[in-house]
Amino acid sequence: MTSCTTTQPSQKQNVGMGQIAVAKAPGLLSSVLGSCVGLALYHPRLKTGALAHIVLPTACGRGALPGKFADTALPHMLAEFSKIGIPREGLVAKIAGGACMFGVSGPLQIGDNNIEAVQNILAQENIRILARDVGGQKGRRVTLDCSTGELLVEIAGTSKKKL
Amino acid sequence: MRNPTISRQHDLEVLRQLLASATHDASAAMCRWTDGLITLSLDEVREIPLEMVCGELCIDDDLLTMVVLSLEGELGGEMILTFDEENGRQLAASLLGREVNEDSEWNELEKSALTETGNILACAYMNAVTRLIDHELVPSAPYFVQDFGASVLQQALMAQALTHDTVLICRTKFHREGEQLNWHVLFVPTDGLRHRMGQTLHANV
Repeated sequence: MTSCTTTQPSQKQNVGMGQIAVAKAPGLLSSVLGSCVGLALYHPRLKTGALAHIVLPTACGRGALPGKFADTALPHMLAEFSKIGIPREGLVAKIAGGACMFGVSGPLQIGDNNIEAVQNILAQENIRILARDVGGQKGRRVTLDCSTGELLVEIAGTSKKKL
Repeated sequence: MRNPTISRQHDLEVLRQLLASATHDASAAMCRWTDGLITLSLDEVREIPLEMVCGELCIDDDLLTMVVLSLEGELGGEMILTFDEENGRQLAASLLGREVNEDSEWNELEKSALTETGNILACAYMNAVTRLIDHELVPSAPYFVQDFGASVLQQALMAQALTHDTVLICRTKFHREGEQLNWHVLFVPTDGLRHRMGQTLHANV
């Protein structure tokens, strides 16, 4: 399976761990997140979005699956946008995920590091974070609506919210 | 990056034999715990690309009831006992000798029944693996969680994801009087434990 896919309008695509998907309106991009972070990039005027399912903060030279790492996912998303004529200017970001899944004493709690890494790389690239829903101890299902740029966040056992 | 030690089909088959032996011990413990009602058997041992793992295991955005146990250290891993709501409630009721609880919230007794089940399974399973690899594996206290299955599985995969783009997963299935139940145990060893099991296999083959 490729690390980045372009979705046909009207389809809903699930974005697996380490994957990046791009879609135009009215496409929907969805991921289920735990300690991973979902990075949604959106161009409001061109109604095109991308969702990366980021697993770890840094690639440290490993680039086989660019969506897996915060520091390789964003450059890859920008490159994919560039290929289809989406300019950097006007792009906005929304992020969700980065939970501490098994409580603070659980093993390999990487959620906070993922959140920090994604925020840092967005700041380096001067891309504004419009909204975020991060941390906590529960998983999230996120869906980016490429018609509106809304990121629907569902936390297990609670109500939905739109970012 | 693929782990050459156990990525080949032959090695996976031998590893399957090692984990089937551990599952056999866990099944005996489960059978005793449930008065002969429930048994388990090894379903599959697979190496799956990270991005495909939840889809391949049909664990996506379903809300599941889970008991998670960790093996800390380099030779470690995660064990997740998963149920859907109905099956989890039925097991708890059966163990407690009560009617199935219809409340939306799980009470402490029900949680305790499931975590103890996870504890018994994990201890039997890890005792068997300990004997086979000659290294003591001690599971943590069980952790009860209700969440999206994929969210919990992701956390369990983190240790392998640090070094690999594929993950090794062992899945066990459950039976009640011959009928397969919608319960599973997922065992995700760390990279260190994968290597150790691989070395043990090669020494014995």
